[in-house]
Amino acid sequence: MRFLEQLGLYIILLKKVFSKPEKAAIYYKQTMHELVFLGFNSVGIISVISFFMGSAITLQTAYNTENPIYPLYLIGLGCRDSIILEFSSTISALILAGKVGSNIASEIGTMRITEQIDALEIMGVNSASYIILPKIIATLIFNPILTLISIIIGIIGGGMAGTMAGVITLQDFIYGIQYAFIPYYITYSIIKTLFFAFIITTVSAFQGYYVNGGSLEVGRASTKAVVHSSILILIFNVILTQLLLS
Amino acid sequence: MIRVKNIDKSFSGKMVLENVSVTFEPGKTNLIIGRSGSGKTVLLKSIVGLHNIDSGEIWFEDVLFNKLNFTEKKEIRKQMGMLFQGSALFDSMTTEQNVRFPLDMFTNQSMEEKIERVNFCLKRVAIINANKLFPAELSGGMKKRVAIARAIALNPKYLFCDEPNSGLDPITAILIDELIKEITDEYSMTTIVNTHDMNSVMEIGEKVVFINEGKICWEGSNNEILKSDNEILNDFVFANALAKQLRSSQL
Ligand SMILES: Nc1ncnc2c1ncn2[C@@H]1O[C@H](COP(=O)(O)OP(=O)(O)OP(=O)(O)O)[C@@H](O)[C@H]1O
Ligand SMILES: [Mg+2]
Repeated sequence: MRFLEQLGLYIILLKKVFSKPEKAAIYYKQTMHELVFLGFNSVGIISVISFFMGSAITLQTAYNTENPIYPLYLIGLGCRDSIILEFSSTISALILAGKVGSNIASEIGTMRITEQIDALEIMGVNSASYIILPKIIATLIFNPILTLISIIIGIIGGGMAGTMAGVITLQDFIYGIQYAFIPYYITYSIIKTLFFAFIITTVSAFQGYYVNGGSLEVGRASTKAVVHSSILILIFNVILTQLLLS
Repeated sequence: MIRVKNIDKSFSGKMVLENVSVTFEPGKTNLIIGRSGSGKTVLLKSIVGLHNIDSGEIWFEDVLFNKLNFTEKKEIRKQMGMLFQGSALFDSMTTEQNVRFPLDMFTNQSMEEKIERVNFCLKRVAIINANKLFPAELSGGMKKRVAIARAIALNPKYLFCDEPNSGLDPITAILIDELIKEITDEYSMTTIVNTHDMNSVMEIGEKVVFINEGKICWEGSNNEILKSDNEILNDFVFANALAKQLRSSQL
């Protein structure tokens, strides 16, 4: 019952978000701002995490396949596919749900409790659209770029860790990451990323927009934003994998 | 002129406003007074449509405002300015950007024209050399004044102020009250001010509406308020020791 009520409110909010923008120029400016704020500012964390995850994946693959029957380049191939299929889209999305999601929920929640949203409404501005739409557009544009960055840096990390630990030669690794490469996997990864970006932004914005009360509730909303969007990401990961790869 | 007719407002079953009817006249500072929790903010937000009322009518001139859809409401909202209880300046914008925001959103003026208007409004509320400061860098009284500047940027016909002087020292509070009254007279706006400050009532209360537990309990002007024999009103008006003494010495 409560779930249906929330779902209803979420859909109403989305309808408000996607109604005709007031003034294109202002939305453009806001979107540029959000591209930097929500997108560009996440390049660092995604790069660092991808580098180390790529390294770990390579070493694990290497130690799990210590069998002379398997050619060494399989390590490179395994590393590439885990990163593209699962890590760079799903794990990155979970990390972004933590960083960007809590950020969006607390920013919008604070605007709600300090009556800034009321101030927009009273001026005749569609507050939902003005605040949320630029965030959605910015994450839809930038998160795929983050995913690509994550893939590249993850593979570089894998190659470096593998050669430094002496489990694979650079030649074998490079051969492996090129071997039987399926470009569709990248498309699959990007499609997942787009869904996840939409989930993170709208679910977190929803939590923030309907905050009622004070700063405690803002904190609660930002926790809920992270938990709910993470769960939805994992559920959609299963659904999308079934739809796109079967 | 704003007319409120028989409005009811409840939150999840709890009645906050009950059968409220009142008329606010143009060119006047209309005051809504009452104790904390009596429903002043809810009444003001219902009038401007931030709360949906359960039943009743809200008229702006001869338009039935509460029945309009968002786009139609927008046209009337462009003529409204509102000062919120906590100022509600946009944190991410400077003073100048805050005041410029309604101009950016709803006019096609050039940047020079907009800046000129912004500076005019800021000067009107006596804020100078603060254009580049962010709300976090302003004092409470300055925030209220910047918020007034933002509210009057588009030359509104209606001005709504929720506790414009709460949390301010008595001198600043009176300055803000006088500013609101002057602006109201200057542009013959219809102004509605929520307050629980008796100083404001005596200073600027051309028309005063006393609200108690969600019902209108008394209406009149600041000249009449001290002579009323309404007991609930008297409890409110003569709540502080000084007022009580004054009253007993008069009797
Ligand atoms: N969004 C809301 N949800 C539920 N109840 C609310 C809401 N807003 C206000 N109320 C209730 O309505 C009543 C009137 O509140 P209101 O904010 O109008 O008081 P007020 O007269 O403005 O008080 P103050 O002088 O302290 O600002 C209170 O009992 C409050 O609990
Ligand atoms: Mg109030």
